[in-house]
Amino acid sequence: MSGIAWTLVALAIGVIVVRRRSIAVALVTAQAFVLAGAALTEGTSADDVVAATALGVRGVVLAALFLFLVRRTRETRPVPVGVAPLARAAAAVTLALTLIWLVPPFGLDTHEAEQATLSLVALGLVTAAMRRATLFQVLGIVLVENGLALAALSLPGEPSLAIEIGVAVDLLLVALVAGVFHERIFAEFGAGDTAALRSLRDS
Amino acid sequence: MTPREWLVTLVLVLPLIGVAAAAATPSALLSRVMTGMAALTALAALTLATVALLEPTHRVLGRWIVVDPAGGIIVGVIACVGVASAFVSPQFLSMRRGSLFQAGRADRIYWATFFAFWAVLLAVPLAGNLGAAWLAIEATTAASALLVGFSGRARALEAGWKYLILTSLGLGVALLGILMLESAAGGGGIETLTWRTLPHASLDPDVAVVAYVLLLAGLAAKIGWAPVHNWLPDAHSEAPAPVSALLSAALLPAVLLVAWRSQQALAPTIGVRTSGGVLVGFGLVSLAVAVPFLWQSQAWKRLLAYSSLEHMGVIALGVGFGGTLALAGVAIHVVGHALAKALGFYAATPLLAHEPRASGHGVGGIGTTQPALGVSLGVSLGALAGLPPSPLFVSEVLIVAGGFQVGRPWAAGAAAILLALGFLGLAHALIDTVIGKPRGRDRHPALGLRAVTTMTIVVVPLLLALTVAALWLPDSAIVQGLIRGLG
Repeated sequence: MSGIAWTLVALAIGVIVVRRRSIAVALVTAQAFVLAGAALTEGTSADDVVAATALGVRGVVLAALFLFLVRRTRETRPVPVGVAPLARAAAAVTLALTLIWLVPPFGLDTHEAEQATLSLVALGLVTAAMRRATLFQVLGIVLVENGLALAALSLPGEPSLAIEIGVAVDLLLVALVAGVFHERIFAEFGAGDTAALRSLRDS
Repeated sequence: MTPREWLVTLVLVLPLIGVAAAAATPSALLSRVMTGMAALTALAALTLATVALLEPTHRVLGRWIVVDPAGGIIVGVIACVGVASAFVSPQFLSMRRGSLFQAGRADRIYWATFFAFWAVLLAVPLAGNLGAAWLAIEATTAASALLVGFSGRARALEAGWKYLILTSLGLGVALLGILMLESAAGGGGIETLTWRTLPHASLDPDVAVVAYVLLLAGLAAKIGWAPVHNWLPDAHSEAPAPVSALLSAALLPAVLLVAWRSQQALAPTIGVRTSGGVLVGFGLVSLAVAVPFLWQSQAWKRLLAYSSLEHMGVIALGVGFGGTLALAGVAIHVVGHALAKALGFYAATPLLAHEPRASGHGVGGIGTTQPALGVSLGVSLGALAGLPPSPLFVSEVLIVAGGFQVGRPWAAGAAAILLALGFLGLAHALIDTVIGKPRGRDRHPALGLRAVTTMTIVVVPLLLALTVAALWLPDSAIVQGLIRGLG
């Protein structure tokens, strides 16, 4: 599980630094397939196969949705960078290390799985907070959910299949709704740039 | 299945039938069929709430379903606000100018999304375990975000986007807390996370504290507790008025119930002082953040949104204190807030028709220019401010007294000061809105006023009855049921 865990973290760091939306979509999709593969190879029961299938289907549907959105909202030029890629990566790594330092061991199968879970949650939060492009903010949510999927796969004992499938369905719904908003924001402002969403402010 | 479990099933299935009906009903009959379905759903939900409250000791504690007094109160609130929102929705839809969706399909999508939101909202207080409760809460996000952005205007898109992203990230953090609890308990799947078994789980206290803080911090983003409340004023002010009422009066307390149940379930491991202290902290911070905004001249719906921040803070204080007085106050506060806040949001539809600038600015002298509307706004704001004989006055006194009762005098004292400041802010807004100097020059007929006036006539005696009930409630079996929780 150790190699898988750190592969997931490396892919997530890629999402934080890359500029092109399609590459970032490819990276989170690769994460989903790595997770599904891990569930299949390390699983011991029929429930694990179902969990792996759910992760794989989730990854494929999300990839299709995001690539559809990328095609429908072609940008003449990428959304301007708010924070430089290296600064984003540094912030993400700092938050990940802080979380690892603060949270005591909580009983997943391996210590690496715990550290990778916390890292993926941190990387997802930083992606959503620091990237201005709407699609990247949704990918931040997917990174967090991929971290949580890793934790679910590394739980001691049998996973709760109903909850795992429910989480996957909920994520698909949220991504679908985010897609509706992304398209409409693009149509309204000419770019999927959250910097345009700043009219609702109180002093 | 027992009769109660059948009733729960009916409560959850009826709004889903509403979703199907929204898709299948001819356009000419859409509003009538949907309000009819809303009445059926509310009838079933109110029956369940009544059963849960009349026999508070007779609980259903299943793996997937719970029925208890706390859940009964929230189900009753969701039923009342849901059906009232459905009844005022046709007026809103007849006045809408644009939509996120194609004009020909917009009304149908509104109703389908409304009933989907209502269905998952009703599932939150009835969920028998933490995992299922999380799923229902997350599902409310997807449905309600579409409703927040329904008008398709730039400001609504901004509000809907913020709501979707911030609450989804928050719920991701909450799910991390849930997974930590399950892992620390040694796995065991869903059985570990049921409300009846979680209090007895063998957990490392250090892990349990971290998991609890993550869980509450994540849920706080959905409840709108400061400092993770940024989406709340935007979403509540930009959503259609019937949806704003559901968000504020029903969704926030429903999610707060899950936070409270988590506190009760983890208190045996991490201690009542610590677990309650986190809630008290969120409550005080929310009050402190809300008060300055209540002192400013705000657009009507934005003022109500900041009032939601204040009232969710008050409820957090109540559940954090615990004890008979504070929990009696919480029960009264949840219901009183729902009635007054829903009326305030419904009144926004005729208010915006009467004075369009009210969408972005504070209004004045509505009691002069449109007296019936002024009365509705005055009743809502007066009750929310805690102006006697509002039940919220009694509930706030009970909650503050409850803080002293359980030995948290500093928190109770700070809450009393912040509540007094909040009262002054809202009282000023009340005077300005109802009997102040009229500001806008561009006034029109207050469309939809009849429905709001009828609701005001219904709400006033209910609020007064609640004030009377508050005097009897602390010694009741309902409050004993709230204290006992689900363990």
